Amino acid sequence: MQKVWKNLTKSKEISILAIIVVLAVCITIVNPNFLTVSNFFDIMRSNSIYGIMALGMLPVLISGGIDLSVSSTITLCAVVMGKFLQANPGSNIVVAILLCMVVGALAGLVNGLLVTKFHIPPIVATLGTQTIVMAAVLFYTNGMWISGMPDWFLSFGDIQFGAIPSAGKVVGMPIQILFLILVGIATWLILKYTLMGRGIYAVGGNVQSATRVGYNVSRVTTFVYIYSGTLAGLAAVTDILIVKQIDPNTFSGCELDVIAIAVLGGASVMGGIGTVFGTFLGIILMAVIKNGLVLVRVSSYWQKVVMGIIILVTISVDVINRRIEKARLVHVDVEE
Amino acid sequence: MDRVFLEISNVSKTFPGVKALDNVRFDIRPGEVHALVGENGAGKSTLIKILSGVQPPDEGAKILIEGKETQFAHPIDAIKKGISVIYQDFALFTNLTVAENIGINETIEQKKKVVSWRAIQKKAKDALDFLNVQIDPNAIVENLSVAKQQMVAIASAVAQDAKMIIMDEPTSALSRGEVERLYEIIDLLKEKNMAIMFVSHKMDELFRVSDRFTVFRDGQYVGTTDADKITEEELIAMMVGRKIEVKRYANLEEKGEVVLRVENLSKKGNFKDISFELHAGEVVGFTGLVGAGRSEVAQAIFGISPADSGVVRVGDEEVHIANPAQALEKGIAYIPESRQTQGLVLPKTIADNITLPLLRTFANKLGIINREKQMSAVDEWIKMLDVRPNDPTMLAMQLSGGNQQKVVLAKWISTKARILIVDEPTNGVDIGAKDEIHKILRQLAKDGTAVMVISSELPEILSVSDRIVVMRRGRITAQMDNDAVTQEAIMQKALV
Ligand SMILES: Nc1ncnc2c1ncn2[C@@H]1O[C@H](COP(=O)(O)OP(=O)(O)OP(=O)(O)O)[C@@H](O)[C@H]1O
Ligand SMILES: [Mg+2]
Repeated sequence: MQKVWKNLTKSKEISILAIIVVLAVCITIVNPNFLTVSNFFDIMRSNSIYGIMALGMLPVLISGGIDLSVSSTITLCAVVMGKFLQANPGSNIVVAILLCMVVGALAGLVNGLLVTKFHIPPIVATLGTQTIVMAAVLFYTNGMWISGMPDWFLSFGDIQFGAIPSAGKVVGMPIQILFLILVGIATWLILKYTLMGRGIYAVGGNVQSATRVGYNVSRVTTFVYIYSGTLAGLAAVTDILIVKQIDPNTFSGCELDVIAIAVLGGASVMGGIGTVFGTFLGIILMAVIKNGLVLVRVSSYWQKVVMGIIILVTISVDVINRRIEKARLVHVDVEE
Repeated sequence: MDRVFLEISNVSKTFPGVKALDNVRFDIRPGEVHALVGENGAGKSTLIKILSGVQPPDEGAKILIEGKETQFAHPIDAIKKGISVIYQDFALFTNLTVAENIGINETIEQKKKVVSWRAIQKKAKDALDFLNVQIDPNAIVENLSVAKQQMVAIASAVAQDAKMIIMDEPTSALSRGEVERLYEIIDLLKEKNMAIMFVSHKMDELFRVSDRFTVFRDGQYVGTTDADKITEEELIAMMVGRKIEVKRYANLEEKGEVVLRVENLSKKGNFKDISFELHAGEVVGFTGLVGAGRSEVAQAIFGISPADSGVVRVGDEEVHIANPAQALEKGIAYIPESRQTQGLVLPKTIADNITLPLLRTFANKLGIINREKQMSAVDEWIKMLDVRPNDPTMLAMQLSGGNQQKVVLAKWISTKARILIVDEPTNGVDIGAKDEIHKILRQLAKDGTAVMVISSELPEILSVSDRIVVMRRGRITAQMDNDAVTQEAIMQKALV
């Protein structure tokens, strides 16, 4: 029993959960509307976009890489889909979703090849593709919004599941949250039960040994970037299903929020460590912080400052922690 | 018993400018411990890399496994043929569980897409049971002691149905008790008909575990003999090509005044009530088992992790050293024990590494470095420590393990500190160079430096020290002059 308790207090997840609870209580005291099912569904729906991308970022971080191009990938996919739907209003939702995911996967494949075949450090490769793709998309769209999606598409985004009474209304779980949950389950299955998933942890832990025991490091690395790109594509669909139009500018810079979610959830930017459960907590934490800042009326510029500080602090704490652990002295049993 | 598992001949390996192996041969039988011995740079690690498929040999090499000619294109090929290596860093996934480290290989080998955790757990448990070691399969490897990590690495080899296990200097990071445990495991593996190739520089250990020796010198095959048909002296002569006698240097010099005085130094969980003095011109050997707290005392004095209480005086002045920079300022230098991580810039040349701490002394007023002066100093150190190859432009990462250690030593000794603390200075260093290093430490003492040597090797302590301090479980249990002291007397103080 004591051991279970020790493990619990040691695990990162518990401390994240504790922070979420404390924050939720504080915000509820200031604004009682915060702790309602309908508000929870609302904030999770709007954050599902970042959540899905964070679940794609997770394997990349675990493998010891980083993907800065998710912002450009989601923009690219959104624009491609917008143009496609404008041209083919008679298409259907399955085609639309698949199209986005394929475009995202291709963008990820490019990153993967740059990293594995040309040995470009991930941070440089993905920053490069981000800049190029973003500029190309903005050039192509002139930065103009795309709207006029077909009705069948828009109404798909309003689907809700179940009926829960909350604050005088009856609300259901939005389809966007279902997307998030399905992606979470898929990512968990991949990481835990496939050899590819274990390879991701192995590569992030020790590349040399991973090669020695026979993991195909290039394949693993390529896979994580493709996966991240694919989920950025799915996030593009999710986004349009919420805002119903496409603004090519909204997502520039969002890669940092995405990385922050994964790191808040316990993934390490130095590789080898991270869980889906933790990332979910990271999503909730991020959603609570953002919503809390709004509810306690922090101006939107200061919100950015606060988010920036949170990102910096979480990432540096992670790096410093890992260092300290490495430098820890051996313990000697001193005779008393 | 005469069946041969592995037989190699005509094996050469050429690096640009260096012939690391020149036409060597080697063979090993099931159930035998065959030690590969030789000086630093003799080519032992290179042969291991070839046998494990990490590096290909030159054209013309002949490798027979159970009579069949073979080639390794990839480390996996070697593992499939039954050859596993316990690397010095164990090559484990420290972020994953013990079970996964041991059991996942089968899944990889069978190219399964889906992982069965039940099968992995079982595989791990079987391997740990086979070795008769108690380690929690669900523990994260990072949290295990070095000795346990090594056991996990061995279990992982067992789980891969290894028929031959290669161990490259496996005891260099273990305490004495852990070494005994490793010997037991080796005996057990032998009993189960495993072939074990063993590399070490420690004579007592070589004679304890080996059935046969094969000697390499400068990349060449010298000979193979049965362990019970050769004496220690003869083996050393084979290795170095000349006779080396172990000298005792005690009390040759006049002691100077006290330069370091430590009183009641304590640190919770590390050491307690440590008091001793260092005189200018003497070498004091700190011995005891690994984990007795010797390195921790040194690191406290040097400011890496300061003590909780107690007084340190340098000369007459009481000092409170909070970090290594302050220690260096007070004239204290500390050479840590692990050569790979602390002290070498691997992608830099030997010359750069040696002169890193004293580049300023080669610079003129404008800060421009006098290359000539730098190079001649470097040459001197290379010669003095017998670094091989003696080419100052060689990168540190291209050196053999023992030669890297010599470069680290040169780097810090050349700073000319008043008080020099060296931690396991000859770990992984061959017998000839060991004596060179001892001579240098003595020379430093003669020039007035106070030298503190931490070593678990008793012959080394007896050879180099004027005075011996024994520690056990965080406390000093004895301080004695090194005149009529015997190994047994020291061991007694270190153990009970
Ligand atoms: N990558 C490399 N490039 C150039 N030379 C190398 C390289 N690796 C090893 N060598 C050289 O090959 C020789 C043999 O080195 P090796 O590491 O096999 O020695 P060793 O017998 O293991 O020595 P030690 O006891 O010090 O570990 C050395 O002269 C070394 O400098
Ligand atoms: Mg070696």
